[in-house]
Amino acid sequence: MKRLVIISSLLGLVWTYSMAVAGGDVEAGKAKAQVCVSCHGTDGIGTQPQFPNLAGQHHDYMVRALQDYKSGARNNAIMKGFVANLSKADMQDLAAYYSTREAVLFTPKVE
Amino acid sequence: MDGQSGCSAVPSSLWLRPLEYFTGRNNQKMRASLSLILVVLGMVATCNCYAEGDPASGRQKAFTCMGCHAAPGMRNAYPAYPVPKLGGQNAAYLVEALKAYKSGARNHSTMHAHAATMSDQDMEDIAAYFSGLTKP
Repeated sequence: MKRLVIISSLLGLVWTYSMAVAGGDVEAGKAKAQVCVSCHGTDGIGTQPQFPNLAGQHHDYMVRALQDYKSGARNNAIMKGFVANLSKADMQDLAAYYSTREAVLFTPKVE
Repeated sequence: MDGQSGCSAVPSSLWLRPLEYFTGRNNQKMRASLSLILVVLGMVATCNCYAEGDPASGRQKAFTCMGCHAAPGMRNAYPAYPVPKLGGQNAAYLVEALKAYKSGARNHSTMHAHAATMSDQDMEDIAAYFSGLTKP
């Protein structure tokens, strides 16, 4: 019984830790987004029409986009330079920040 | 051969004559019109504007998009991540994205298959539709 309690609490710790890492940290993301804001805005609204709005975009989609820019699967000269030095945790944090801005993006409905 | 290229056999003044026609001091009118042409060309070259898309036409053309992009909780498979929200996105960005899928600059087999069938006008129309939707 004692062993079960220890194992389950350890599992719980691992789980909460992985959730924290997977979700990213909004405040850390805000600090890391200082270079993003000139194009994507502090509120996640693109400052020019060719720059995408990010406010309310899916967290995991944005992480994927950053990974693809880094790997070259998404070939974009501007973004390539910015993502080159981003770690996995940085990407999680940035996605956490922009996905939690007041949403301008939404999933459309079939009319 | 005198060591010069074939072209130089023609007197240089002849080659320069069309240029003089535009730049000659005595031809104020031509100089003015040349400046105007250059200004207009410059404006066209630097213009970030896109041909206007038609949202009504885009709505028809976006029918197949909705299968994934209008399905809440829809996820891309292998690797798994949610399909992006397109409602309220900037039209110019959406056009850029579709062009990148078509050219392969953005690597995604399903989106490439869709974008490859689209004309520039189709992209403009679809982008106008998604960007013009009102948030529920």
